[in-house]
Amino acid sequence: MLGIRLSRLPMSAKVFCTLFLLGIGCGAIAAAVQAATAIGLTPADVQASLGREMPMTSLAPAGHGQHHQAEKEISVSDISGAAKVWIRTPLLIQTSHTHLFGQTLIAGLLGLIFLFSSVGERLKSVILALPFVGTLIDIGGMWLTRFASPSLSVLVIAGGIIFAVGYTLITLIALYELWLMEEPPA
Amino acid sequence: MRTLTAALALAVALAGPAEAHLTPPVVLVSDRDAVVSLLSGAQRFFVREVRLSAQEQTAIKQASSWTPEEDFYRFYVGRDEGGRMVGALVFVGDATIHGSVRVAVALGPDGKVRGATVVELTEETYPWVKPLIDQQFTRDWVGQDGRSRYVLAERLAPLRGNPMTQFYGEVVGGLVRRGALLYEFGVAATVGRR
Repeated sequence: MLGIRLSRLPMSAKVFCTLFLLGIGCGAIAAAVQAATAIGLTPADVQASLGREMPMTSLAPAGHGQHHQAEKEISVSDISGAAKVWIRTPLLIQTSHTHLFGQTLIAGLLGLIFLFSSVGERLKSVILALPFVGTLIDIGGMWLTRFASPSLSVLVIAGGIIFAVGYTLITLIALYELWLMEEPPA
Repeated sequence: MRTLTAALALAVALAGPAEAHLTPPVVLVSDRDAVVSLLSGAQRFFVREVRLSAQEQTAIKQASSWTPEEDFYRFYVGRDEGGRMVGALVFVGDATIHGSVRVAVALGPDGKVRGATVVELTEETYPWVKPLIDQQFTRDWVGQDGRSRYVLAERLAPLRGNPMTQFYGEVVGGLVRRGALLYEFGVAATVGRR
């Protein structure tokens, strides 16, 4: 693009791109570990953290501002023993805005580097779109899980995978072109 | 090359504000551990779920200027072998500018605080609240009810030098009071209706 190729960048730019890509990779691994420990990495885990809290009793449906209550006996094992984060709507709003800004900027920087790869335009468009699309599916999935259907928690996992696939492809191709690809003599 | 450098510099500059975000949640106690420890002496456990009426919501707002907005509130009720109520526990939380704070509040049958513990906060707020937790600050509120003032006790005066510790102590105190009010208006006041 614009006559610039990753393989032709000066050494300082190659070092910059490489360290940025590796840094984002380390951050992504740390984020995955954090998500695994705080929430979990299965749709069921996501559903448990993001889904609306449902009554455990036969509590009557809401309506007309009347008092309702219901009680049932439980065993202690029915109460969650896992130290898991339960994401309420205010935290969902906070998480959404920080992750949408942060991940979109990361996707933008990844895409910016990848714009100068020698991959064909069509494939390049698809690959650089993956981190953006993954972010939107990930965050959109959180809202849909909470307000549309808990079964849509699978979107949160899918969004994360799409982001990771996009990052991995961009990084592998960029690192190859930065350091291994041989440019034909001009 | 100049174009690429300028674009990267702009992107890095824009990335700065994205770093200024809330720190991750820190879960100190699981729900189960909070229920078992704060309702010690209970042999049997029950879940009582309460949907407040409009009048009850208004009454709580008039008493505390806080409006309960959850669809329903879940109380864990502990009873002894004879079926007598030992206490009830409710989890209450709030979203502060530095992240969520969640507290377990246990109340006796008389509506007085039996115990309370911070179950969740954030990496940023934890260092501010930890000195209070180390001093078992919620112990000073045992025996209080929804009409009481939940302020840090005089013995904690040295810790009040840190305004964030003072602030989050008051946040937790406010949440304990909310738990007491929810019990008073949502459970205790309706016993005769069941």
